[in-house]
Amino acid sequence: MAINLLRDKGGVPLSQQRMSWRDMVGKPISKLDDDAFTRVRIILMNGQELDALRTKQVALRMNRKARVQLAELMRVEQHQATTINWLIGADHSPIETTIGYEQTAIEVTASVAQLEPDGYLATGYRYALLEDFDHLYRYSALLDRLEGKDANNIVQGFTDIVPGRPTIEHHRAPEHDLLEPYGPDAALATKLHAITLTGGEYQTHDYYMNIGPIFADPLARQLYAEIASVESQHITHYGSMLNPEESILEKLLLSEAAEVWNYAGCVEQESNPRIKALWERFLDYELGHFQVALQLFKDVERRDPETVLGDGKLPPFIRFESQRQFVRETIDRETSLRKNGTKFVEEAEEGTTSRDYRRAVNADGSPSSTVSATYSWAPGTELTRVEEKAA
Amino acid sequence: MEGTAPGPNRTGGAINPEGVASMLEAVNELSPRKPVSTLLMDIERQWYITEAEAVGSIPPPISSPGGKGRKIKSTAASASVGVLLDKLGERIAFERTGTRLYGAVITKYLALANAGEVPLPPREDGEPALETLRRIRSQELQHFRMLSQCVQEIGGDPTAQTPCADVTATASSGLLQVVTDPRTTLAQSLNAVLTAELTDNAGWELLGELAQLAGQSQLTKPFAEALAVEQEHLEMVEGWLKTLVASAPGTSAV
Repeated sequence: MAINLLRDKGGVPLSQQRMSWRDMVGKPISKLDDDAFTRVRIILMNGQELDALRTKQVALRMNRKARVQLAELMRVEQHQATTINWLIGADHSPIETTIGYEQTAIEVTASVAQLEPDGYLATGYRYALLEDFDHLYRYSALLDRLEGKDANNIVQGFTDIVPGRPTIEHHRAPEHDLLEPYGPDAALATKLHAITLTGGEYQTHDYYMNIGPIFADPLARQLYAEIASVESQHITHYGSMLNPEESILEKLLLSEAAEVWNYAGCVEQESNPRIKALWERFLDYELGHFQVALQLFKDVERRDPETVLGDGKLPPFIRFESQRQFVRETIDRETSLRKNGTKFVEEAEEGTTSRDYRRAVNADGSPSSTVSATYSWAPGTELTRVEEKAA
Repeated sequence: MEGTAPGPNRTGGAINPEGVASMLEAVNELSPRKPVSTLLMDIERQWYITEAEAVGSIPPPISSPGGKGRKIKSTAASASVGVLLDKLGERIAFERTGTRLYGAVITKYLALANAGEVPLPPREDGEPALETLRRIRSQELQHFRMLSQCVQEIGGDPTAQTPCADVTATASSGLLQVVTDPRTTLAQSLNAVLTAELTDNAGWELLGELAQLAGQSQLTKPFAEALAVEQEHLEMVEGWLKTLVASAPGTSAV
C-alpha cells in the first residue's frame, strides 16, 4: 500500500515502542547464506538510524520547546540502531564488513543517481559513486593479500571489483568538496536522497575511524586512514547538498520522512522473512516518529508541512539490485571528472589547491596504490594465479 | 541450536555464474592481469618493522630475582629469568583464558544435553564427558594458580600482563570468538579448543626448558606434571572431535 506522509496517520505510538535487550540482540544474519542485499539493507538502515540520532542531537542543542520529544524519539532510535547493527554476525571480519559497506555505497548510490530528478545533484551522486567503487577494489586487494579471502564471498557476483576513479586522486582541498545545495522548492525525492547518502557516508566514515586502529598490519592501518579521510570528504560532499536555510525542525521532519521512505523500500524488497518482519515493525515505529515530528513542526514552527513535503507522496524507492550496467557506463563517461569549487570539471581544470593538497598527503606514498599494485580480482583470490614458488 | 547441513550458501562463484562472468569481463577491461607482485607492500611493511618499538616491556622483579635466597649464577641466567618471567606470564594468561574457554564449551555442551542429546561419549574409565570437561576446567585453573605462585617465588608480579601474555592473548582471541558464538556447534568449538591445547602443550614443554636455563630447576617437576595433564586434555579433545565428525554428522553437535 502506498504511503502518503500527510494523509496516513498510522504507525505505532511512541509510548508503545519498547524493546528488551533480547529483542535488540537477536539472531544475526548468515554471512554465508543470506542474500548480499539483505546485508546492504542492514548497513543502509543502521546508517539511517545513526544519522536520525545525529540530527536530533543537533536539534536538542538548538530548540528548547522540542527537548522532551527529541529525547523520547532518540531513546527508541538508539535501540532501533542497535537491533539493526547487531544483525551483522561476528564471523564477518572487519574487512569483510568493510566490503559490505562499500557494496552498499555503490549499489545504493547508483540507484539514487538514477532516481534523482536534479541533474546537477545526480552528477554529484555519480561522482562519489566512482570513488566508493574504487574503494571496493582497494579493500578487496587488502582482504585478499592480508587475510587470503575472496571479496566475492561478500558481494556475491552483484558488484564488479575493478578500479574506478583511483583513490590516490580522491584527495581534494576542502573547498572543492562542496556542492551547491538544493533549494527550498526541491522535490521531496531530492531532499530524501541527500539525507540518505549523507547518513550513509557518516556511518562508513565512523566505522573506518573505529576499526582502522584495530589492525596490526601497517598497510591496513594506512589504507583505513586514507579512505576514512575520503569518506569524511564524502560527508561534506553530500552534506553540502542539503539546504542550509532549512530550520532544524524542518530537517527533523525530513529526517523522519527519509526513514519512513527507506524502511518502506526495505519492506518491499526484503528476501529474508525474519528481517522483513523487522523492517515492517520499524516502518510502523517510524510512522509514529513522523507524527511526532509533524506535530512539532506545526506547533513550534507554525508552518504548513506541505511547503516541505509537497503532496506527501513517497518518491520511488531505492532499488536493491545490481546496478552493474549503470556503474560501467558511468565509469566509461565520468572517471576523468574532477572538482573545482562546486563545479564538476575535466582533469585539466581541477582546482589547483587540490593538487597541492594531494602532493602533501601522498608525499610518503599512496596506501591505496601500494596495497593494490598489480591486483586483479580473480575467483578464489589472486593466489589461484600465483606460481607456487612465488607465493 | 542447529547442526551444519547443506543449504543455500551464496558465497561461491558457482551460485551466480553470470555475475562472475560479468565481473571477469570488467577485470579484463579495467584491471587486466599482470604478474602478481606485492613488493611495494613488502617494502612499506619492512620500513615499519625496522622503525617499530616493542609491544611493551617485561615488568621488573618486585623482589630479588631468584627469590627466597636463591642466587642467580650468571648474567646469562639473569637474562633467562627475564624470558622465563615473560613466558610464565604468557602461560598464566593462557591458563586463565583456557578456564574461560572450557567454561564456554561446558555451557554449549549443557545446552545440547538439556535438549536431550548426549553429544560426547564417556572416557574409557567411565567418566562422563561433562565431568571430564569440568575436571579439565579445574585443572586449567589449578595451573593458573600454580604458575602465579611460581612467579611470586622468583620475584615477579603474577598480575602483570607481560609482552608474551599480551601477544598470545591476541593470537587466541579468535578461539574465544568461535566458542562463544551461539551459532557454532560443539564440534566447531572443540576444533578451536584443539588449537588452544596444541599451543598449550608446546608452551609447557618450552617452559620446562626455560626454567632449567634460568637456573630455576625447582620448577621443572611441577611443569612436567602440568605438561602430562595437558597432554591428556589434548588427547581427550582430539578424540571427541574425531568421534563427532566421524560418527555424528547430521546431529546438532556437528
